[in-house]
Amino acid sequence: MVDFNKPADLFAPAPAAATPPQYLKFHASGSEYFRIWIVNLLLSIVTLGIYSAWAKVRRNQYFYSSTELAGSSFEYHGNPIAILKGRIVAAVVVGAYAFAGKVSPLLAVVMFVVMAAVIPWFIWRSLQFQLHNSAWRGIRFRFDGQLRDAYINCLLRPLLNIVTFGLATPYIYQRLKAWQFNESRFGQARFATRASVGSFYKLFGAFLLLGIVGMVVFGILFAFQAASHFAGRTPAEMAAEGISPSMFIGVALSYILILSMAPLLIALIQNLVWNNASLDRHEFRSEVRTGRMLFIIVTNILGVICTLGLFLPFAQVRMMRYRIESLMMIPEGSLDEFVATASADVNAAGEGVSDFMDFDFSL
Amino acid sequence: MDTPAVTGRYFDGKTSRLHRVTLTVADGMAHLAGDVERSAPLASLRVSERARHAARKVSFDDGAWLEVDDRAAFAQLLATTGHRDTGVVRAQQSWRGVLLALGVTVGVVVASYVYVLPAAAVWVANALPVKVERQMGQGVLEILDKRALGPSKLPAARQEQLRRQFAALVAPEPDAPTWKLVFRSSRIGPNALALPSGDIVMTDELVNLLKDDQAVMGVLAHELGHLHRRHLTRRLVQSSAVAAATWVIFGDISAMLTALPTVALDMKYSRDAEYEADDYAVAMLRRNGIAPEHMAQAFVKLGEASGDRMSTYLSSHPATGERIARIRAAR
Repeated sequence: MVDFNKPADLFAPAPAAATPPQYLKFHASGSEYFRIWIVNLLLSIVTLGIYSAWAKVRRNQYFYSSTELAGSSFEYHGNPIAILKGRIVAAVVVGAYAFAGKVSPLLAVVMFVVMAAVIPWFIWRSLQFQLHNSAWRGIRFRFDGQLRDAYINCLLRPLLNIVTFGLATPYIYQRLKAWQFNESRFGQARFATRASVGSFYKLFGAFLLLGIVGMVVFGILFAFQAASHFAGRTPAEMAAEGISPSMFIGVALSYILILSMAPLLIALIQNLVWNNASLDRHEFRSEVRTGRMLFIIVTNILGVICTLGLFLPFAQVRMMRYRIESLMMIPEGSLDEFVATASADVNAAGEGVSDFMDFDFSL
Repeated sequence: MDTPAVTGRYFDGKTSRLHRVTLTVADGMAHLAGDVERSAPLASLRVSERARHAARKVSFDDGAWLEVDDRAAFAQLLATTGHRDTGVVRAQQSWRGVLLALGVTVGVVVASYVYVLPAAAVWVANALPVKVERQMGQGVLEILDKRALGPSKLPAARQEQLRRQFAALVAPEPDAPTWKLVFRSSRIGPNALALPSGDIVMTDELVNLLKDDQAVMGVLAHELGHLHRRHLTRRLVQSSAVAAATWVIFGDISAMLTALPTVALDMKYSRDAEYEADDYAVAMLRRNGIAPEHMAQAFVKLGEASGDRMSTYLSSHPATGERIARIRAAR
């Protein structure tokens, strides 16, 4: 899904009193990231994954240092040893879970319950780690959320979906994003978002409607195609003939479109959250456009498939650039006055698991 | 000896205030002058890695940092202080290093996929006692009974006859594992399967479709081949390794994306196992004086029954036509 790796720290301020609106800028280039990626990939493979922790730090340092707000870049402080430890914990947990499923159904159920019980803790740790290790102008970000709320947001509230058949998803997601945002800090300054539950229902509803219409249209087109293609043939002949190239292209395209929906939805949620976001008195705007975003996602997927994965780093940079450069800060007064708070280092156990599970808490 | 002054912006780590400063180095000490004055030993500073598009920073041990504006002068300063990029950075910034990394990566990945992993899987399977594999298979037949299989409608005498007939055959290799032949009716069409527990499941539908006991023996020999060659453990090792490797390669980008290549790559191993079991069955039939053509006929009938037309590359089983040709060629 070409996910825009955790520039978790897109929050930030700009310069001097009566500062004009500040767009975020992203200076990374696909070809430079390709070079960083391939060298780190080789080292990760030959060290059987151990180096991947250092690779992650290199990658994040590159992306953070390439992201600019009001003339100053971000910085990633993650410690590779901490990340390695986190990844080992994660590998053991995820490995045990996968293995349990193959050994006995009962053990699989037990492991599932164990996973459900520990995941909120991991997510909570991961949010702390990501923000604590992100900084702008020498000031670190911080996550102040309570563990109790992690369990409410990531375990208890999602259970609502069992009785509501998924209809509570926008509400659950809105609460999660609001918690993540409202508990984020930049130094002593507080983030907040006023994104409403209603706006999440509207967005998710539009996707659902689009999905249904898309499936019906595609179903009809495919049926017509198939009818003309197989007209007057026996089932055995149909089987021998196989599907036609145009039918294959149709299926492949609809598959790519389905793959595109999740990243598109996440990118549009960025608008909901950031258009209603503030950092103390400073406001934000996010202007991700649906058509442009969908174009980037679809061409990225095609590029990755056609190059057997070699386009991945380019795809990632394209995606990140569009999403980051869609963001703007509207400062209210000077950006020189943020004050740091002292905070102890955070361990990376949660970070490892969220790496495995693709939790995306960026933006 | 003083170095040329490098302009930059200094942030003290306490507030977000921007201080315009210049950096110079003399006698192993770095000096900032301008909006703030600060000196620190070079050994206590950390210089961020070189990249063409990223900002360059010098970090102090108390969390303060200097963001360099004049990058050309800074490069000069680093050179005069004897700062060296790490090997990784030099490789990242040179196209020769990158091409080498690309070549080696592709080579390692392909060689692992084609040679190393299958060999490692055989090694692991042989090191793992059969008992453990059998333990892992407990409960699988019960689940299948609930979901896809029903009690057999074949007369007990007929079941026993086939069981005896197969037990009388000699395996093509020594140390054949113990097996238990069970009959079931099937909700998923004619089929036969070998389970890690050592059970070989034969469906009524397949016995009735083949109408030839020698062909049934061929199918059973194929399933025994899966057990004897430890395919179930080997497949487990292979699919886990493929999943882990795709995660290392693509996991940084997206864990969801990794599911696709994992499944597609695993298919090849699955088809290889089918071919291996076919070869085993042919050897077993020959050894017992049965013409392999019986087995080829079994695939012909199975192919007709299922209208098998799946593309080889995306299928867990080889195309039927290919398997028949292979069995006949094995003569």
